[in-house]
Amino acid sequence: MKDNNVLEAKNLVAGYTDLDILNGVSIELKEDEIVSIIGPNGAGKSTLLKSIFGILKPRKGKVIFKNEDITGLKPNKIVKKGMSYVPQDKNTFPSLSVRENLEMGAFIKEDGTKEKINEILTKFPDLKEKENQKVSKLSGGQRQMVAMGRAMMLDPDALLLDEPSAGLAPNLVDEVFQKIEKINKTGTPILVVEQNARKILSISERGYVLEMGENRLEGKGKELLNNEEVEKLYLGG
Amino acid sequence: MIQQLIFGIVTGSIIALGAIGLSMIYDILDLVNFAHGDFMTLGAYLTFLFNVSLNLNLILAAALGIILTGVISLILDKIMWKKLRDKGAGSITLLITAIGLALVIRNLIVFQWGGSNVGFDLPLSQNLNFHGIMISTSGVLTVVVAALLMIALDLILRKTKIGKAMRALSDNKNLARITGINVDNIILWTWGIGTSFAAVGGVLYGLNTVIRPDMGWFLLLPIFAAVILGGIGNPYGAMVGGLIIGISQEMSTIILPSSYKIAVSFVILILVMLIKPEGIFGEK
Amino acid sequence: MAIGISYIISLLILFGIYAIFALGLNLEWGFTGILNFGHVAFFGIGAYSTVILNQMGVPIYIAIVAGIIIAGLFGVLVALPAMRLRGDYFAIVTIGFSEIVRYFMLNEEWLTGGPLGLRDFDIPLSFVPSQYYNIAMLILVLALLALTYLILKALINSPWGRVLKSIREDEDVSKALGKNVFRYKIQSIALGSAIAGLAGILLAFNHKYLNPNYYMPLITFYAWIIVILGGSGNNKGTILGALIFWTFMSLTRFSPGYLPISSTDLGALRMVIIGLLLIVLMMYKPEGLLGNKEELKLDI
Ligand SMILES: Nc1ncnc2c1ncn2[C@@H]1O[C@H](COP(=O)(O)OP(=O)(O)OP(=O)(O)O)[C@@H](O)[C@H]1O
Ligand SMILES: [Mg+2]
Repeated sequence: MKDNNVLEAKNLVAGYTDLDILNGVSIELKEDEIVSIIGPNGAGKSTLLKSIFGILKPRKGKVIFKNEDITGLKPNKIVKKGMSYVPQDKNTFPSLSVRENLEMGAFIKEDGTKEKINEILTKFPDLKEKENQKVSKLSGGQRQMVAMGRAMMLDPDALLLDEPSAGLAPNLVDEVFQKIEKINKTGTPILVVEQNARKILSISERGYVLEMGENRLEGKGKELLNNEEVEKLYLGG
Repeated sequence: MIQQLIFGIVTGSIIALGAIGLSMIYDILDLVNFAHGDFMTLGAYLTFLFNVSLNLNLILAAALGIILTGVISLILDKIMWKKLRDKGAGSITLLITAIGLALVIRNLIVFQWGGSNVGFDLPLSQNLNFHGIMISTSGVLTVVVAALLMIALDLILRKTKIGKAMRALSDNKNLARITGINVDNIILWTWGIGTSFAAVGGVLYGLNTVIRPDMGWFLLLPIFAAVILGGIGNPYGAMVGGLIIGISQEMSTIILPSSYKIAVSFVILILVMLIKPEGIFGEK
Repeated sequence: MAIGISYIISLLILFGIYAIFALGLNLEWGFTGILNFGHVAFFGIGAYSTVILNQMGVPIYIAIVAGIIIAGLFGVLVALPAMRLRGDYFAIVTIGFSEIVRYFMLNEEWLTGGPLGLRDFDIPLSFVPSQYYNIAMLILVLALLALTYLILKALINSPWGRVLKSIREDEDVSKALGKNVFRYKIQSIALGSAIAGLAGILLAFNHKYLNPNYYMPLITFYAWIIVILGGSGNNKGTILGALIFWTFMSLTRFSPGYLPISSTDLGALRMVIIGLLLIVLMMYKPEGLLGNKEELKLDI
């Protein structure tokens, strides 16, 4: 083991059409870290997560997870390797109940699902009350909790979150960030894309700024918070 | 009037059995399965094969015929539909392929069993008579079997992991993949359940009337109407839709020539598509 | 020998009629992307309208023109509400419509003669001595096929045709360009249905008889197979497709005598092969024989 990288993307090139959206992006996620990715709309942040998780097949570059090359594997394989992903939107099954959503998160496991669901529901007490309600009836914040809970069902070795605070009321945003920290404290490294740069950088070990599908800046969370350029562009002076 | 209502419930049960599978397959595979009616026909003929040609008793024959129909749909998924899915074929390609499949199934049936009507080997059944209202034993059987199957499906969908995964897939196929749900496997379950229900519907149709190579084709339009009425991908909607269509068709015979029954489902179909294309229970 | 030639002539007549019919579908599907699965309805409506008008005393040539126009109008009538629907819904609605039309033909005996159909109407070529009738019919059909082909060719190369193509390729782009996509689609289906009507009228003249069973939903699928086999969006391909299709249909008709197989069985096997062909085409060569893979966008 040369370092404590859990997940590493090296020079990823990917896109939806002939056009490349990512032009060689590299990031690293180490054990116990929260790493954030910020950048303007359309920078390719979601595209990066999709390429890591096998939803898009990278044209060039490598994805290394737990010292294994997983480049180009399909999402269902990557889940089995121990990575979980919460997409930016449509990240729950709306006609299923909270409990059923969590159960689907553990689809590939044979047993122990009940105990795990109960464990997650105690971590998300709001959901406990609504465990048998359809997710479509929940608020945006609660739905985001369901999505994260679903992703935690397999005790992943890395968790990818795409804009978990998008569209939430300010008080809920704080709650979501607290949950992210809490999940991380239990030993799950998290790679998170966020618009809410100030908040996410303040809880991140490290952060990356993406622009036009390229690495623009990177550094410790606190350093980026104090970086003039970042301040001007994303933190709104 | 009550007599037509009873006929309507019997017809509606058969339509509902067809509609459930069509609706689930439509939703989960993005496939407008124009061959679905022909699976109903196939179920009836395979049962006829075991029952009349091979002399098995009707219940055993029906069980074999229905299971075999389901198995055939699984094989077809392996050799056709999965290949098309993996190529990323869109809904129109799938639709045209389904029409080709419908031609193949129907004409293989004609080739094997001829174009004329056949019937099961049945003990003469008596009609039950309640104060002048006739109910045939096969009619009663149809409604009971359909009701039991619907209860079974409801239990599968709500209580089993496979059933919940089917609903998850129907909600959001991409998320299901990301979550690690084995999509190909769930699709096979959907085919198996959908076509065997259709086959049961075909057998029941044969019990109530006769078995003909084009019976499934004639059931297809009312089935589409039931599916759209109930909302694509909503098996409960398909059940209710089936009953509504069946009852409306039979009730219409009070005022219209009975040859226009099918026009009634067509009119309902168009009205729903124009006014509430997501179906009566749809929320979207 | 004489039988051989007259057989080939009658085959060529059917080829011509179905080629015209399929050209109408190719305009709708191949060039505009309309999923019309009820094409046969307009085939029947054209034929019945012409014959019924003629029986009511309208001179035959006027009745023919009227029949073609009525078929086109019915196309508009169906498309006006249905064109607002998604493609798959449109397919279901049109297939349903064609069945309703057939039930109407079967059941409204006072107008359509019911299952017995209609005979006793004027035939345009009645002045031709009867031994040459088939040849004259063939010449007429082929001339009309050529005319249809040329008109379509001119239309498709006109600005109107370029808009149709752009709709097929990307409806949203055409909308953004301010083209009234809905109106163009209605025009396309009107013309396609009128062409189907013409083909239907010719079929009635060829048989000198009209019967609802000529207008089964299966006939729509014939047209689809012809179009897809030849290559969607390619009129030459459609004509080639029609030629291959009718050659196949007639070659497999010779059997009784050579093969130990009844004609029902043979008819069924023929349909099995056609169904398989459709499946294989969709799986391995959706662009057909002459179609352009790049241009063909099946899913809109
Ligand atoms: N499914 C798609 N097909 C084609 N292009 C896409 C698709 N999804 C995204 N794009 C394009 O890729 C580029 C990057 O999109 P991406 O979603 O990765 O941005 P992002 O950084 O996540 O932005 P946001 O902050 O808005 O979520 C954009 O130009 C977008 O238009
Ligand atoms: Mg994004």
